[in-house]
Amino acid sequence: MRKSNLNRRLFLIAPSVMIFTILFLIPISYFFVLSFWQVHAYRLQAGFTLDQYMKVFSDYLAPLGYTFMIAMTIALVTTTVAFTYAYFCRFKAGSLGTAFLFVALVTLFGGYLTKIYMWKIILGSNGVLNSAFEWLGIVTDPITVFLFSPFAVVITLTHYTLPFAILPIYGSLRGISDLPIEAARDIGATPQRVFFDIILPQARVGLISAFSVTFLFAAGDYVTPLLVGGPQTSMIGLFIQSQFGHRLNQPLGSAMSFTVIGMCVVTIVFMAMLIWRATRSAK
Amino acid sequence: MIQVSALAWRGFAAFSIIFMLSPLFILVVFCFNESPLLNFPLTGFSLRWFDVVLKWPQFLEALKNSLIVSATVGIVSTVIGTMTAMGLARLRSGFASTLMSILTVPFMVPPLMLGIVFLSYYTGWFDMPLGLHTVILSHLVFTQPFVILIVNARMVNFDFAAIDSARDLGASGLKAFLSITLPIVSSSIVGAAMIAMALSLDDFLVTFFTIGGNNTLPTFMWGMLRKGVDPSINVVATFIMCLSIGITLVGLRITRYRG
Repeated sequence: MRKSNLNRRLFLIAPSVMIFTILFLIPISYFFVLSFWQVHAYRLQAGFTLDQYMKVFSDYLAPLGYTFMIAMTIALVTTTVAFTYAYFCRFKAGSLGTAFLFVALVTLFGGYLTKIYMWKIILGSNGVLNSAFEWLGIVTDPITVFLFSPFAVVITLTHYTLPFAILPIYGSLRGISDLPIEAARDIGATPQRVFFDIILPQARVGLISAFSVTFLFAAGDYVTPLLVGGPQTSMIGLFIQSQFGHRLNQPLGSAMSFTVIGMCVVTIVFMAMLIWRATRSAK
Repeated sequence: MIQVSALAWRGFAAFSIIFMLSPLFILVVFCFNESPLLNFPLTGFSLRWFDVVLKWPQFLEALKNSLIVSATVGIVSTVIGTMTAMGLARLRSGFASTLMSILTVPFMVPPLMLGIVFLSYYTGWFDMPLGLHTVILSHLVFTQPFVILIVNARMVNFDFAAIDSARDLGASGLKAFLSITLPIVSSSIVGAAMIAMALSLDDFLVTFFTIGGNNTLPTFMWGMLRKGVDPSINVVATFIMCLSIGITLVGLRITRYRG
């Protein structure tokens, strides 16, 4: 009985593990090894050198730091807004909660390129927002700071990731039963205590996944800074692309990619611990 | 006091809704605008941009490819991911959580790098011709972790006593799954399937590197974007949007998802 159960579980897990290993683990390991190689006269040279990583930290520290700041801003703004929205849907909107959640579900499927493109159209100096302002007589000269700025990147990526952050948070808020909340209220708990001792501790898994998804996406994105970021938005994705593209330096490109991944892992682990501690119920 | 907070909540909700929906709304409005310029004031109602796009054989081909890829990816990754979440659910040991963290590693890798890695793997190692099959395989890698995470998040609060009772009373494993587990987690599974399909349909970078000479809607749109801004892009974008929303509505209806 016990043994057959174990076998059945392994059978359930097998397809995922196979896809992961064959399609992902093997090629990505190769690229990891590659990040310790070097390029000589346009040819790959096997070996073990930390040169590429040294180069990342000497030549590309500024874009790395910039990417971190932008991704952190986007992740914090998005997680906060998403939690507030999910909380609204679950506890404040009553019977309309489902309808409000539905709006988030719908915008999940707007299309990645579509959204970036639309913000480009909206924020441009001849764009929707400026022409609407002029038409309504709010401004006379177009506002040029909207597009091709870090602001445009933050707005675009917040808009893109918001539904991806709302859903996991709502998922964990949905699991909270009304019973303990009502019981706590009946014995005189204030709304604040209900929030911090019952709701927040159960929302932590959702909060952590919302932050992680958003941060990862923002840190690794390449198309958004390319289309709406402008020249001063020097996000690392643009540099990674050029190493693999016309510069043909795969080892350096790999080292940059793994540095970004490392930065994401450290940030997410740290933030997950922070969220976990901050949402502990005060017993 | 109570009224002030109710007002603040309403304001917040209205602002969020406008922020989330206005780009999509503006997109649809400009599809029907006569002028080739994308700004206000609107110049008049016209279907000319639809006419331009729908007469394009490359567009219809891209549309068909997108449908094939996202449907296949959605179904396969949801089945596989749910199986894994179920398999891991009762393994409360370190093994389960370790395996889950390992399987979710692919979405730590930026899509740009994933695309480059897949491209050099398929062509450099296997001499595999690129096409829809390589796109589907690649999409499974980054959609399955989402499915596993979403379904698993629901299983964390799951009460296994109900299943144990059913099994004690003689229900088969499959029957217990269908009559107890599935109804409880179905909304999460549908949510996961929709996310998988949406990710697949929306994906641009991985598709761009692994599709070879073909196009899906996003890579087709990218080609248009590179040629410059033209209102027919709005029509292509609207197709991507409507297709996805259609998938959502069907999904919601099948599962009678009530939020």
